[in-house]
Amino acid sequence: MAAAVETNLQPSYIDIDRNVQRAMAPGGLKYWLWVAFCAFLTALGMIFWTNQIYKGLGVTGYGQPNMWAVYITDFVFWVGIAHSGTLISAILFLFRVRWRTAVYRCAETMTVFAVLTAGLFPLIHLGRVWFFYWCVPYPNERFLQPDFRSPLVWDFFAISTYLTISTVFLFTGLIPDLANAREVSTGWRKTLYTILSFGWQGTDRQWRNFSMVYLLLAGFATPLVLSVHSVVSWDFAMTQLPGWHSTIFAPYFVAGAIFSGCGLVLTLIIPMRKLMKIEDLVTIWHLDNLAKVVLLTSLIITYSYATESFMVWYTQDPIEIMTFNQRYYGPQGYLFWMMVACNCAIPLLLFIPRIRTNTVCLFIISIFVNIGMWLERFVIIAGSLATNTEPSQWRFYVPKLTEVVITVGSFGWFLMNFSLFAKFMPIVSMTELKEGIGWLRHAVRETYPYRKAA
Amino acid sequence: MSDGIALISTFSSDDECAQGIEALHRAHVHDFSAFAPFPSEKILEATSEARGQGRSPVRWWVLTGGITGILTAIALTVGTSYEWNLNVGGRPIASIPPYIIIMFELMILMGGLSGLLGFLFHSCLPAFDSAAGYRSRFGADKFGLVVRCAENEVSRLESLLRDAGAEDIAREAVITQGVPSHH
Repeated sequence: MAAAVETNLQPSYIDIDRNVQRAMAPGGLKYWLWVAFCAFLTALGMIFWTNQIYKGLGVTGYGQPNMWAVYITDFVFWVGIAHSGTLISAILFLFRVRWRTAVYRCAETMTVFAVLTAGLFPLIHLGRVWFFYWCVPYPNERFLQPDFRSPLVWDFFAISTYLTISTVFLFTGLIPDLANAREVSTGWRKTLYTILSFGWQGTDRQWRNFSMVYLLLAGFATPLVLSVHSVVSWDFAMTQLPGWHSTIFAPYFVAGAIFSGCGLVLTLIIPMRKLMKIEDLVTIWHLDNLAKVVLLTSLIITYSYATESFMVWYTQDPIEIMTFNQRYYGPQGYLFWMMVACNCAIPLLLFIPRIRTNTVCLFIISIFVNIGMWLERFVIIAGSLATNTEPSQWRFYVPKLTEVVITVGSFGWFLMNFSLFAKFMPIVSMTELKEGIGWLRHAVRETYPYRKAA
Repeated sequence: MSDGIALISTFSSDDECAQGIEALHRAHVHDFSAFAPFPSEKILEATSEARGQGRSPVRWWVLTGGITGILTAIALTVGTSYEWNLNVGGRPIASIPPYIIIMFELMILMGGLSGLLGFLFHSCLPAFDSAAGYRSRFGADKFGLVVRCAENEVSRLESLLRDAGAEDIAREAVITQGVPSHH
């Protein structure tokens, strides 16, 4: 046994391949039961959405002035989740941060499926979904043309670009790994990997072009990721509504997005590395570094909350002050304080190295981060609309079963897609781990005391 | 009838493979192809120097795509504003600052997509026929250097590659297509 641990201290290229290929082996009964459970949640969400399309938005808790509520909260939440993928895969790539290699594929996959999930919510939110194409800019006989000065149209362009570029970035990085998988596969998997890898053989010419396109895509994805959540934040900040109309929204939303995204990466990767037996590739050292990003972004958003409150006090605008008083101490004030606890207080535990290196603690904290960030979006969106400038219109929104089930269904849809991808595609980049094998060995050595203790 | 011999040398590290490429360069042999399981900077630098190549032309595809994206966005936003113009209190019909967001997004979109196309084009992908000398281990844990040469050069190049650290050298007759040209 000791010898096995000794061997793992010096993983070779072949060890990396074996670990990833083992994770891609056909799933057992438990795996398929999990996928079936996710599919069941998805189906449930689709049934409730169908009912909503048939009966109209009256089946939800929507009503004046809460015409934006859970669906837009879900939209912003999922777009936010997508951001850590690009942070880890593109921004950290440009900065040559070595710990990203083991986790970036997982984060990037999460990005693509999170944007796909987010893209559903503007459609779900529409009362008459069959008219969604009215948002697409093309000359038509109805004399309708999108107003390019509207943040909603910016959003359409930003999200569709983000989905496309994230998919291209993920796919480009996958090509060499799919070629590797092709060589050891048989049957329909071999055919699939042969087609998807485009006959990649890793010649110097191919690598030269690959390195260039990957670098440029990373260079494009970096400002894109910052722009997308800024644009999403302007959906709110460009309006005159107290609680939304704030110049801090763009950086505040971007930091929050990275925070929530890294939280969900932890939520996904901690059980995944255990179940797929890739603990030798995704080590405690990698999780420790990811936890530090969560901690840093938690501090940034705590600062953003404080700045936002300070600006409200500093302007002495009575309506803004009233809105924030309602946010803190109103009928739904408990949601704000839960949000503060989840996003500001609980992540402070990550200052303790022993917690950062304990997977159970990290997993629990990541769940709190996810809850906290969903609540943040709900508090901003539904909370600010509830208390607008006309007190006679005030109404605190409470979701009905339809919104709850559709939200749960979106988690099922996301997890189902992610789980299928993780089983059929290389969920850890073999190429990049081999390129930085020295860092992987460093990670394994750093992790050795924890493994030994475990 | 054979077009020559392909020497398929296998290396266990990118250092040795790069040394092999440098040795070939010094011997004025440039009809070779290197295979690696990851984008090794050492190998890429050595091949670029041996062949006198600059940086990948993919960057021009990205630049062209990006500029096309910006121009498309200008045409879309400004063009449609004038086509469906609406004078609101004398404000500009085409308001450039908000349109910059659309220009930015389309620049990224088209730049990224054309970059992908450029990458596939210059890498000769898709290509479902194996290049001469390709071995599946070159995608896993070994580095390969495939040299195309005349039969009378075989022993000289073999010893040159062995000196660079090749752990195994195999010979293969090149019948029709040899190592793809890199120029």
